[in-house]
Amino acid sequence: MAQAKNPKGGKDNFTRNLVIAVVLGVALIMLVPTVLSKQTNESAAIPSSVSAEDGYGIVFNKELQDVPFIEIYEDFQCPACQRFEAIVGEYLEELITTKKAKVAYHPLSFLGPESKLAANAAGCAANEGKFIQFHKLLYANQPAENSGAWSAAYFSNLGLALGTSSEFDKCVAKNQYQDWVVNVANEGAKRNINSTPTAFINGKEIDRSKAYNSLAEFMLAVSKA
Amino acid sequence: MKETLIKLQPWFGLVSRLTLGGVLFAAGYIKVRSPDESQMSVRAYEMLPNSIANALGLVLPIIEIVIGTLLILGALTRLMAAFGGLIMVAFVIAIAQAWARGLNIDCGCFGGGGAVEPGETKYLQAILRDAGLAFLAAYLIRYPLSKFSLDKNSSKKTSQEEVA
Repeated sequence: MAQAKNPKGGKDNFTRNLVIAVVLGVALIMLVPTVLSKQTNESAAIPSSVSAEDGYGIVFNKELQDVPFIEIYEDFQCPACQRFEAIVGEYLEELITTKKAKVAYHPLSFLGPESKLAANAAGCAANEGKFIQFHKLLYANQPAENSGAWSAAYFSNLGLALGTSSEFDKCVAKNQYQDWVVNVANEGAKRNINSTPTAFINGKEIDRSKAYNSLAEFMLAVSKA
Repeated sequence: MKETLIKLQPWFGLVSRLTLGGVLFAAGYIKVRSPDESQMSVRAYEMLPNSIANALGLVLPIIEIVIGTLLILGALTRLMAAFGGLIMVAFVIAIAQAWARGLNIDCGCFGGGGAVEPGETKYLQAILRDAGLAFLAAYLIRYPLSKFSLDKNSSKKTSQEEVA
């Protein structure tokens, strides 16, 4: 090893180069699974009311034509989404039951692991036809972000209150729709959703300065559509 | 006075390395665990096409971790300081353009990011912080020699002693 001693009489840079190689190697090992986990899986299991062509959202009144199409992007852990639900939640439910609008819910999960679990559980509830009720319960029981409160057992308990079947418990425990949750997130990313909640009416975002904070403004936006 | 500065220079180098490296490492480490949020915060700047912004959101935290780690250890100090400085300048430009265009976003520097309520933006703080870090990077590019570094002092003109 000719270069083992440099002119300064110090050691060579072997240790340094080894460290650099290790750091780069670890970075690569981190990058690959991250990128792979963000791939949309088109054969992912999806809950029954999910429509792939509507950005993998949970869609109500899919068959209706000539009604406003309302799309909601939300994260069950986001406090602003909780407020938004408190403001427009009942009105949306009424629009759905009276068939006055087609509504798609997109449960995003950018706030972390418990958002992903909650989105999966919401998908499981959709299978039982209880998405709206479950959605409400989640917001009513929103804990601090990723505090460990939201787990499969917790969602099963919420399901109990709604009279869900044992299928629901299995679905939650298995995290059955985790690939679907990734797909929803990817579609949101493609659509440039940079904030939750985000609401579209007929493909156009509602006025951020008004319609997110006031039921009257939101109703006005829907009636104009 | 000059001699004191010369003596202290490797210690200044160490502090600069640990500060710049520590901030980069922390920023990357926080963001790498929430890729969705990281992608969102890059998109929110509205500078890049959506697909490129999403790719950058995945890669940037890992780049920050690599540069941060190598700076903390003092490996390839000059090159890593150059990369770190370049990133800081890019951040300053990105934040300044968001401010100038009147976007209401969180810088997403340490997680978070995306749209925020008007009046909740912290553009000036973020720009000052990143400009300060860019200054530390410039110092390390000029004087990469520092205490407790893995780099062996073989190159020339890396300390104030040698240029004095």
